[in-house]
Amino acid sequence: MNDDKINENNSEENVPKICRRKFLNTMGNTATGIVLLGGLGVTLDFLKPNVILEIPKEFKVGPIDSIQPNSVIYEPEQKAFVVRDEQGSFYALSAVCTHLGCTTKWNASGIGGNPKAIISCPCHGSLFNKKGELIQGPAQRGLDKFRLRLEDNQLVVNTSEIVSDEEMILKT
Amino acid sequence: MKFFYWISQTKIWESVFRTKLPISTNLDRALVIFNSLSLHIHPIKVRERAIKFTYTFYLGMISFFLFLVLTITGILLMLYYQPAIPNAYENMKDLKYVVSNGNFLRNMHRWSAHLMVISVFLHMLRVFFKGAYRPPRQFNWIVGVVLLIITLLLSYTGYLLPYDQLSYWAVTVGANIARYVPLIGEELSFLLLGGNNIGEYTLVRFYVLHCVILPAFMVMLIAFHFWRIRKDGGLL
Repeated sequence: MNDDKINENNSEENVPKICRRKFLNTMGNTATGIVLLGGLGVTLDFLKPNVILEIPKEFKVGPIDSIQPNSVIYEPEQKAFVVRDEQGSFYALSAVCTHLGCTTKWNASGIGGNPKAIISCPCHGSLFNKKGELIQGPAQRGLDKFRLRLEDNQLVVNTSEIVSDEEMILKT
Repeated sequence: MKFFYWISQTKIWESVFRTKLPISTNLDRALVIFNSLSLHIHPIKVRERAIKFTYTFYLGMISFFLFLVLTITGILLMLYYQPAIPNAYENMKDLKYVVSNGNFLRNMHRWSAHLMVISVFLHMLRVFFKGAYRPPRQFNWIVGVVLLIITLLLSYTGYLLPYDQLSYWAVTVGANIARYVPLIGEELSFLLLGGNNIGEYTLVRFYVLHCVILPAFMVMLIAFHFWRIRKDGGLL
């Protein structure tokens, strides 16, 4: 009965009553929570390396006069095919399979009885034509195309710039 | 015999093992189990059919035993292994051809790992078909599933450590699978590899996961799993 009366009084005054225990508990839990969240954030940050020793995104191929039409240069470090087609224009393809990241292989005469299946992936058997377009899965899309530009008679490939089919061709 | 009797009556023995020897009553027998840290995972009383081989095929205990073998052989392998490039591959080759009994140890670790995946999986099947996941054991089933996942993660992280072609491409594929996770995929793969490609950081990360973090979780969850079996009324 007494308790009820006290509660009634409180609601009349409309002042939320916080006892010392509740106040200290809230303060303590909030502080612990902030510290834990901060600790989690700092740890996540720590887990992401700021400096990673990886090969540069840009590399050069050439001089272009020494590259025959209808030929391919494979750059194993950068995992890229630099191709000169029959007309003499250039394009660059990523050799990394778009399925699960294995390195594909260039087979000049095609593979599996299909003369168009020039690029094949050893891991799960995806096939691409020489423009990097998908012929057979499990990959869902064609190989990435890199931006090419000409600089002092040399080709510069930028593996961080992925371009569309139209943009990939560099005419000479 | 007299010697053992004398030992069992000493103050030191008494201070370690609380049960008074010799054991004569059923209560004494129960107390032996009850008072021992290593034995008290057993219920005080066991139904006779629960000990029959065909009841459980001992699959849980086989998995646990394989985990012990893996821990011991793994710790020994750590003594000759450095998680660095190119040391890792060379150390693995040294273990095979240079270190005495190294190849035996390595193969034991490898085969036990394969067998553990099989035995944990069969254990799960056994529990499933016996319906032993039903109340009140639902939560222990969940713990078991987590243990299966940890077993698979241990296999996956251990796969990179020899650092040969098989390891490299298997982990490349695995990290790219992680990349398909919605929203956080890229981040997850970056954290896992410690970079965009497999490198020094990846090897150390997988080494720490394989040797410290995952086994620590494994040990804690195994202990909980066993305790829970007992609390839920023994094997079913």
